[in-house]
Amino acid sequence: MSKRFLLSIVLLFAVILAACAPAATPSPEATEPPAAATEPPAAEPTKAPEPTATTAPEPTAAPTAVEPVGKLTIWADDTRAPILQELAPAFLETYQVELVVELKSSIRDDFQVAAPTGEGPDIIVIAHDQAGTLVANGLLAPVDLGDKADQFVENAKSACTFDGVLYCMPYATENLGFFYNTDLVETPPATWDEVVTIGEALKNEGKVTYIMALTGTTYDLYPLFTAFGGYIFGKDDKGNYNPEDLGLDNEGMIAALTWVADNVAKGNLPTDTDWANNHALFETGEVPFIMAGPWALDRIRQSGVPYAVTNFPAGPAGEGFPFAGTQGFFISSQSENVLLAQAFLTEFVATEEVMQKLYEAGKRPSAFIPVLEKTDDPDLAAMGEAGRNATMMPAIPAMGSVWGNWNDAVTLVIQGKQEPEAALKDGATKIRNLIANPLTGMVNVPGSYQAQAGCSGDWQPECAATQMTKGDDGIWRSGPFALKAGDYEVKVALDGSWTVNYGVDGKENGDNYKFTLAADGEVSFEFDPETKLLNIILP
Amino acid sequence: MSSTSLAQTYQRISSSKKFQERFSIAIRLVIAVFLIFFSIFPVLWILSAALDPRNSLTTQDLIPPNWSFDNFLRLFNKDPNFSFGDLKYWTWLWNSVKISTISTVLSLSLTTMAAYAFSRLRFAGRITLLKAILLIQVFPNLLALVAIYVLIFQAGQIVPAIGLNTHAGLILVYMGGSMGLNIWLMKGFLDTIPRAIDESGMIDGASNFQIFYQLLLPLLRPILIVIGILSFIGTYGDFILARILLNDSSQYTLMVGLQIFTAGQFDKKWGVFAAGALIGALPIMITYLALQDQIAGGLTQGAVKE
Amino acid sequence: MKQKTGNESPLGLLTRVLLVVVLDAAIGWFIYNSVQLGFTQLAAVLAVVLVMLNIIFLLPQAYAYRWMAIGLSFLIIFVIYPILFTVYVAFTNYGDGHLLTKEQALKSIQQATYLPEEGKSYSWTAYKSADNQYVLWLIDSNGDTFLAKVGEEIVPAKPGDPGIGEADSKGIPQTIEGFQRLNTLLAAADKELPNIKFGVEGGKTVQVRSPSEAAELQIRYLYDEATDTVTDQETGEIYYNIDGTFTSRTGKTINPGFRAVVGFKNFIQFATSPALRGPLVRIMTWNFVFPTISVLSTFFLGLAIAIMFNDPNFPLKKIIRSLLLIPYTIPSLITILIWRGMMNPEFGIINRTLERWIGVAPPWTTEPIWAQAAVLLVNLWLGYPYFMLVTSGALQSIPADLYEAATVDGAGAWVRFRKITLPLLLVAVGPLLIASFVFNFNNFNLIYLFINGGPPIVGAQTQAGHTDILISYVYNLAFASGGRGVQYGFASAISIIIFIIVGAITLAQFRFTNMWEEVSQNV
Repeated sequence: MSKRFLLSIVLLFAVILAACAPAATPSPEATEPPAAATEPPAAEPTKAPEPTATTAPEPTAAPTAVEPVGKLTIWADDTRAPILQELAPAFLETYQVELVVELKSSIRDDFQVAAPTGEGPDIIVIAHDQAGTLVANGLLAPVDLGDKADQFVENAKSACTFDGVLYCMPYATENLGFFYNTDLVETPPATWDEVVTIGEALKNEGKVTYIMALTGTTYDLYPLFTAFGGYIFGKDDKGNYNPEDLGLDNEGMIAALTWVADNVAKGNLPTDTDWANNHALFETGEVPFIMAGPWALDRIRQSGVPYAVTNFPAGPAGEGFPFAGTQGFFISSQSENVLLAQAFLTEFVATEEVMQKLYEAGKRPSAFIPVLEKTDDPDLAAMGEAGRNATMMPAIPAMGSVWGNWNDAVTLVIQGKQEPEAALKDGATKIRNLIANPLTGMVNVPGSYQAQAGCSGDWQPECAATQMTKGDDGIWRSGPFALKAGDYEVKVALDGSWTVNYGVDGKENGDNYKFTLAADGEVSFEFDPETKLLNIILP
Repeated sequence: MSSTSLAQTYQRISSSKKFQERFSIAIRLVIAVFLIFFSIFPVLWILSAALDPRNSLTTQDLIPPNWSFDNFLRLFNKDPNFSFGDLKYWTWLWNSVKISTISTVLSLSLTTMAAYAFSRLRFAGRITLLKAILLIQVFPNLLALVAIYVLIFQAGQIVPAIGLNTHAGLILVYMGGSMGLNIWLMKGFLDTIPRAIDESGMIDGASNFQIFYQLLLPLLRPILIVIGILSFIGTYGDFILARILLNDSSQYTLMVGLQIFTAGQFDKKWGVFAAGALIGALPIMITYLALQDQIAGGLTQGAVKE
Repeated sequence: MKQKTGNESPLGLLTRVLLVVVLDAAIGWFIYNSVQLGFTQLAAVLAVVLVMLNIIFLLPQAYAYRWMAIGLSFLIIFVIYPILFTVYVAFTNYGDGHLLTKEQALKSIQQATYLPEEGKSYSWTAYKSADNQYVLWLIDSNGDTFLAKVGEEIVPAKPGDPGIGEADSKGIPQTIEGFQRLNTLLAAADKELPNIKFGVEGGKTVQVRSPSEAAELQIRYLYDEATDTVTDQETGEIYYNIDGTFTSRTGKTINPGFRAVVGFKNFIQFATSPALRGPLVRIMTWNFVFPTISVLSTFFLGLAIAIMFNDPNFPLKKIIRSLLLIPYTIPSLITILIWRGMMNPEFGIINRTLERWIGVAPPWTTEPIWAQAAVLLVNLWLGYPYFMLVTSGALQSIPADLYEAATVDGAGAWVRFRKITLPLLLVAVGPLLIASFVFNFNNFNLIYLFINGGPPIVGAQTQAGHTDILISYVYNLAFASGGRGVQYGFASAISIIIFIIVGAITLAQFRFTNMWEEVSQNV
């Protein structure tokens, strides 16, 4: 023990030395010197290969040790990283740019921490619905696909378009498809009623345990909900999701969940919604139907169960449709190599060869049209067909409050604890509580006087110190505020935000009201909600 | 203890001490079988998941259909039909063992010295600091990751050897835990060592350090081993700090490396994860097996010479 | 007890002063560099450490602290500072939409460019000279071609002009005298290229904007430090800094926002949040029941194992103890999920076995009481090896002669355990029990991974489940909530509130701690 302890003291001092002395670094273990991050001066004129449409790796003039002129770091998961790693040597040789591909597990979370310091990767590969908040945080840079733009599937591009700006180079799309066991079922059901008839017949014959697998409660059941007319968020006229229009407790959702509840009660559906368990049910022939995504193809094929993929059954509202997702390459706005990253994507990755490899690894329909057209996998084609009306998974932050409550509502119904309508209404109320703006109904007069009136600064539509109160006559009033002499500007804003605001002449988004105080004095405001006019009462 | 009291009851019936001892051992062996079943059973299922090519954690049979060693092969990149790319399992394992060993040895020495002061010296702020150490652990340190990341990033800009993506940087961060709860454990142990030992040293004119190092330290062996194992396991199992501070897959620790297999939303490679986790548990098991004799002993074996 | 601080030898004094000098120099150098690089956090933390170390090593009264100087330094840097950071963040709007610092956000905002209405955009090809000068070959939308150099007017040019080589199939000259043609990627590898203004400064300039486009770009936003406003050069609109977002009078905002101090807003938000309308009493009750039972069950099982298999004559004890340690050696991420699978009411092995043997299938995940039992059982499995280790170490500190004396006095095994083992054990292990309580009080991972707080509480005002503890309940509300994304500021405020609750409990426990220490001093 004492030897060990002595050793520890020695090591301890080694660390202290390492921490303090810059010249000598006898740190306890030899850390490799960090790869030269700084770009060596690109003095030697490099023989540039001719730019060609596809990347034909031309041997460079100097086949000796290639001195990288730049470095690109990519974070990708275990499916994508190997493909990208394979590209690295060719890329280095052709363009003298080192490609570092890191296998990461929680790309988005780690990126949020790393990117602001400038230490993050240049490119990340994630799904579009994870990108919404990253865009809002200013961590992603727009992507210009240039003349390759029309080679990408339109839907995929629109998935990662935020505020009209494209933020990714999509490479794959994904959505659920309707799988049926071809041994048990000859003609796939066209409606959800047929699902029950066919399923019950099989169940009565003792061939299956349940009529369908329940692989989840929310995303995985969405095609059922939509067939009955359910939806999560409505869209505004520009096609953007509108968090105000929550459809969780609409008639269609209730009808769909009632269908589920009835069938659970009849023992037609499992009460367990575990993803893996339910896939196992399908793979062992215990259920004839399942809604599954391309990520499950490998395991379903391996299981040897005879299956086919088809469109979703229809309900009262027509054929059901799933959520769609897009996998794409996103560029960090905090990267020093934004241009290089863009060029890498459009010149090197957006080629048939690479896109084909990515397709083969991920088994998702490619978002790159030349590869998609060549795709002859019948299952993926069928899934693409089933998802032809798919709606993009909302990437708006409000979605965050939906998943848990949606899941709770469906779970309670499946467990028989609550009626579908009550469960969905409860769930929807909880979500609305969270999304609701606590300042709804506030009428305020933000302006350049607010700091003097007890606000933490000027022009704050949410500042409670200057909010107006409604009189019996229907007129809103605030003040008096004791202000110093000077020129002031104000406006009227509703709901504690600038979304609805009125300026001069009651015009929405109009010009600021202006007033001048010759000497210190008290000012009050009156607002008529009918005319939208603001009356400034000067001393 | 239930067994001891049972044995106690039995004492009244049987006067044969040998018989009583055997009976007690037999009962304890039965209990041991039950407990081992309790502790091992889930692990068998992890093994089952590791052998299951379907990558599922909800295997329904202990011996999965079509079981194979594919997941182990994949872990070592030996599956010709399947590649994760840049997997360096043995490097990760080595990194983990190295980092955990160094951090354990270093933090153990810091902890022990501090505990000595808390137990044997009386100074202003002693109780306050002890309480503070406990209170600090209570704080749900939500943004520790962000703060530590920035610190290490900045330190690395000055001295690259302790920056991001270095093991030295990670070890330094782990040192922050050396003034943790283990101080209480160590201090409690020290408190039970009779002061007579110190006083005999003082009469001989020994300095505080000599008393600590020559007289007390040998007596601390059991608790040193226990805290060492605790701290080793703690460091070994950490993936939260390591994941954010290490970016290069050849620098990863085992737990960070294994996280890769849980990256997909649906296609999590639980089988490979399970295989890696099982092999990863071996170093801890071996260490414990080797060191557990050292835990017993100490004072009970008559090391105290009054 | 007597302390030896006065009789330091001259050599010892010299060593100590030397050590201080070396430390001061080293840390001082580090601080100097941090300040140079603008790393205020690091510099501040190290400055505190530096002052502390000087006091400790120079003041004789601080002698005892020398024993823990290094540990304290690490504690300050890697534990205390992050805590202070969390406290600071509780008073900011740090989170989605406000993730960057003001400098970072401004840098990003000031990089934004726009193409004026009359501005033209081109496709480009870059050529580089031996001394790293660039020329651009531009093609506009009409197919007209131009040559652009830095500091010279952009002039129309054609392939085959003097000094310009023949065109390739796309109308781009293969050579330009004195320059090497680069393909897009090679050109893009130069980080400086997008910042180079081709053309005459003040006149028409062209910048590379993307691999396919170079354009007559203008800087879009101008920042005025005096008024803390940003002016949009394109529209003339002025944006004011309101709580970390540049906002115009009409409510338009510029992305990204940045971290700003917002005072007590987060605490007020919590006080008015729907979280408080939820089943708080039920959650708090469970939040005390769960850690209490967890601590007691893991402690007593661990202790029982330590006592039972401590006997040196016990057969196979090494193997038994090693096997019993196994739950502690495998990452809990996977073991929790394995338990989840095993306890699945419909498919899990436990219920299938129970059903076959005794015809009962407990609803582990769907009925509240069973779900709570399941969580406790899994936690017992996860937690007992810790106490097995700790107690088997701490037991060694109990002098054997105490037992001998007690046995002579005729005390039975139970009395010996209660009067000797337990009190003495608690001296060392007591604080760990408190710590274990606290750990389980916030044991988010188990609750979240195993059952995600479920089963849901029917009719609750907010999303809540029967096994939700405060932190998992709040997680759902703070991190997934409100259409406002991840709010670190809000979450930090909540964690401070939780800290106040747990801290108070912990301090209350100290009464016992003091008692334990007295016990030990009587030994």
